[in-house]
Amino acid sequence: MLKLKTGLMVGALMVALSGTAFAGKKDDTIRFAYEQVPENVDPYFNNVRIGVILGQLVWDTLIFRDPVTNEYKGQLAKSWKWVDDKTLDLDLREGVKFHNGQDFDADDVVYTLNFVGKAENKVTTQTNVNWIESAEKLGKYQVRIKLKRAFPAAIEYLAGPVVIHSGKYYAEAGPLGMNAKPVGSGPYKVVEHTIGKSIKLTANPDYPASLNKRVPKIKNLEIRFIPDRQTQTAEVMSENLDFIMGVAVDQALGMKAVPHLQVVEGETMRIVFLNFNLTEQSPTPAIKDIRVRKAIAHAIPREAMVKQLVGEKARIINAICFPTQFGCDDKLAPRYAYDLTKARELMKEAGYGPDKKLELEIVAYRERDQTEAMIGALRSIHINAKLQFLQYAAMREHLRLNKAAIAHQTWGSFSVNDVSAGTPVYFKFLSDDMARDPEVRDLLEKGDSSVDPAARKEAYAKALGMIQERVLGVPLYSLTTHYVANGALQFNTYPDEIPRFWEMSWK
Amino acid sequence: MASKNMASKSSMAGKTFQRILGHRGLVIGLVLLGVIFAMAIFAPLLSPFDPYDQDLGRRLIPPFWSPKANPAHLLGTDNLGRDYLSRILYGARISLLIGFAVMLISGLIGTTLGLLAGYFGGRVDLAITFLITTRLAIPVVLVALAVVAMIGGSLVVVILVLGLLKWDRIAVVMRAATQQVRGLDYIAAAEAAGASVPRIILKEVLPNVFPQLIVVATVEAASAILLEAALSFLGLGVQPPLPSWGLMIAEAKTMMFFAFWMIAIPGSMLALLVFAINLVGDGLRDLIVPKRRG
Amino acid sequence: MLGYALKRLGTALAVAIFVSILSFMLLRMSGDVAIALAGEGARAEDIELIRKLNGLDRPLMVQYFDWLGHAALGDFGTSLYFKSPVMPLIADKIGNTIILSVASLAFALLIGVPLGVLAAVYQGGWVDRLALGIAVTGQALPNFFLALVLVMLFSVQLRWLPVSGSGTWLHFVLPTITLGYYITPPFMRIVRAGMVDALEMDYVRTARAKGLSKASVVLKHALANALVPVVALAGVQLGLLLGGSVVIETIFALDGLGYLAYQSITHKDFPVTQAILLMLSIAYVGLTLLADLVNAWIDPRIRLA
Repeated sequence: MLKLKTGLMVGALMVALSGTAFAGKKDDTIRFAYEQVPENVDPYFNNVRIGVILGQLVWDTLIFRDPVTNEYKGQLAKSWKWVDDKTLDLDLREGVKFHNGQDFDADDVVYTLNFVGKAENKVTTQTNVNWIESAEKLGKYQVRIKLKRAFPAAIEYLAGPVVIHSGKYYAEAGPLGMNAKPVGSGPYKVVEHTIGKSIKLTANPDYPASLNKRVPKIKNLEIRFIPDRQTQTAEVMSENLDFIMGVAVDQALGMKAVPHLQVVEGETMRIVFLNFNLTEQSPTPAIKDIRVRKAIAHAIPREAMVKQLVGEKARIINAICFPTQFGCDDKLAPRYAYDLTKARELMKEAGYGPDKKLELEIVAYRERDQTEAMIGALRSIHINAKLQFLQYAAMREHLRLNKAAIAHQTWGSFSVNDVSAGTPVYFKFLSDDMARDPEVRDLLEKGDSSVDPAARKEAYAKALGMIQERVLGVPLYSLTTHYVANGALQFNTYPDEIPRFWEMSWK
Repeated sequence: MASKNMASKSSMAGKTFQRILGHRGLVIGLVLLGVIFAMAIFAPLLSPFDPYDQDLGRRLIPPFWSPKANPAHLLGTDNLGRDYLSRILYGARISLLIGFAVMLISGLIGTTLGLLAGYFGGRVDLAITFLITTRLAIPVVLVALAVVAMIGGSLVVVILVLGLLKWDRIAVVMRAATQQVRGLDYIAAAEAAGASVPRIILKEVLPNVFPQLIVVATVEAASAILLEAALSFLGLGVQPPLPSWGLMIAEAKTMMFFAFWMIAIPGSMLALLVFAINLVGDGLRDLIVPKRRG
Repeated sequence: MLGYALKRLGTALAVAIFVSILSFMLLRMSGDVAIALAGEGARAEDIELIRKLNGLDRPLMVQYFDWLGHAALGDFGTSLYFKSPVMPLIADKIGNTIILSVASLAFALLIGVPLGVLAAVYQGGWVDRLALGIAVTGQALPNFFLALVLVMLFSVQLRWLPVSGSGTWLHFVLPTITLGYYITPPFMRIVRAGMVDALEMDYVRTARAKGLSKASVVLKHALANALVPVVALAGVQLGLLLGGSVVIETIFALDGLGYLAYQSITHKDFPVTQAILLMLSIAYVGLTLLADLVNAWIDPRIRLA
């Protein structure tokens, strides 16, 4: 009895002590947790989504893409003009200040672009910057960007991953200094960055009204890195967090029942598809038989998976690209509806049946339940798929060494709304291309480098159609993400998976 | 207090009682272990469903004690609509396989090293003691995680990694036991009779240190089962859709606040198995090495 | 004593170096770091460039000695993932792990030693059986499972304790219990065994015969004897705790060395994993060395043997 009493007293004491932890509205702080730690918060030196999010919070881009209409608008650049295929002139905005008080002008753009464009500076995702030849100053508020090759999607990159640093500060601090003490010109400024643990941000009161983002309505933002999903869930359920994202559908449903929480499903640009190893070194030559690949395409219950495992807002896709991306047109792509009878017939023609099963390996790196569901589906058409579930880097290595016949891939295109950031990665003879079809490659190349939008669209549509005709991959669906938030938080979601914290407010 | 007499009396009675208790623990452990063995062996007969068969239309059905239960699925279904009872039954196979396979590999390495060190002494002993010390200084969990992370997890990889890492305690115990036996007369007699060294070690030494081997190997099997579960829990263990209990906890942990039974069932099974093995280990220790329970 | 200490120190050093070679080779042979570094969407030429820039194309032994030479001077290179020096990264996290390990050890000692004493004194009684029960279940319960149950109970249901992080001492309560509970049984067993032996020794019987009270006999004579092996065990357990908190630190997002190790492993951040492995093995070797020396100092027979 005595022990029980002491226990209760200790408990009461603990409640009193931890009372300050309870979140949100009271101290005007959004507490947000993310599972992955960015290797460096400088947007050029990481390749995780939280890096893209931070890029939009702390920094700004030259051009702005409206997340709803997908229309391009001026941001740090007031306007821009193509001089020729490989030359872009931009007029810059005046009156923008970096968080360290320095004024923004052409020197910042020139330094940033010249720095990131050089391969030896080792920007993590080279495809984001390797089209930049150089940048030069035409006036205090005028710059010219020279491209290495004709690359019409440059505008999209300038509106996304290519953020502008303070040239002077970046020259002094470099990417490491930028990580330790980030300085940008975005709506939030970093107060404290504890590497690998948390980032504390506060509203930038000097953010100009002329830009497309705004001075945040909620003053403080605290980002914590919590690797375990159920720990995030526990934190948000016990009101120590206000916002988490990327919650799986079952947990999201579970949390819907918690009174102080709201659950919102949002679309994402990340698509899911299967890739086949069709090279000479393919570990399973049988996969080179188009009948087997067609059978697989017919066997995967995409509708049921979307309904049960993904989310209501997921879209079934019929080509390997996200529907809003420029050039993502599936009009020439044949459809393969869910049809087990047909799939089994195709397998039978290819020589497989209950007595002769096809053994192969499938490799995956996220949404393991979805991979398992696919393995279950393949079992019913006499394919025994063995799973290798690996970290992303390990998966790529595994694929490059030709150890798996099928890859369960997902691709978010870095939120770039142009097919050039997606399909070519897997079908243009780059290192992730396991299909190696030269005709597809040539069509994609044509789409990437043509200047005429109509010609680009036509080339991409043909490429996407050809990929489906030859079943070089199986497009499945787009993913959705569930946001779980404090019930008092007012927010909107966007398919690029970037939470606009500066727009959020308390109800 | 009547302490003077009580002390000897209680220690006498205590000893007898303890022996019985020890035996009772052993009996309970053996019975539990037998049940889990039976589950593993007869899994195909006992399972109402194929543990790999999915049904996306029957996902997350709660177990029998819930009002929403479905009598066809006594322990409910998981997030892919697989029958939980069938997976638990087949899971016994995985855990037992891991326990015994790791025990076999580490037992082989540990016993060999221990026997050699204990029998030959001198430089051999120094070298092997050094190896053991080195092995003890390697953080097992970290190294196992690192290796599995890089070469990819599978049942075979996990068994090999754990087997190659967990021989230290067996080597220590075998070394000490061999040293004791080494000094005994009949070894000297065998040597004098001209028996070859391998023969002496295998025919004379090994049978005499075997009981201690069994005790320490049991403990190691339990610890290997827990380690596999921990690795699988962190996503760096065996690969799905294998119905490993550790993996089942890992797969269901995100659901624990909404469907606690999903981690409670495999978690309890795991605890029960390790509990049973430990009871057996303790019981055997009491019988074989009386007094020492440290 | 000095000779013994020097000899033990020499062995400890040799062990540490041997461990470093083993773990270096092991980590290097099991994966291509360059691919890991290159990340999502990298092309073959990026990967080759990264391999060259990081010196990953040199022979393994050259890489090892290069690394060891720097490590000896406290320079563990640059984290491949965080791109910042490894040493400050580790220095930043090690505090939390030390607090957690020492607290867990203290927890285990506070529970394990008294329980072991009581179990020995009342051998066969209910305390003994209870202690045995705790010991057997303690070792049977997977610690990550216990952690989840504790979080569910104390953080989500009762809201007494924070779930994750390392901001205040309260953040350490649940991880400490989880880890401490798991290492309590060995202490309890060893104290019990030592006490059972001691209580049957002649001098204890003599002391009792002289009419000293039971409590004083137990505490003064028997316990002192039974505590000797506890010192060695504490050294070993502390060494294991430092390396064994990976799972627990990850669950509680407790920003310590184990959590950093897990991050570095999943990111193939070889220099960080390597540095942590080396530091943990040195810590283990150092602690067991310390325990040996303390024991040799307490009990002269050890250093003569």
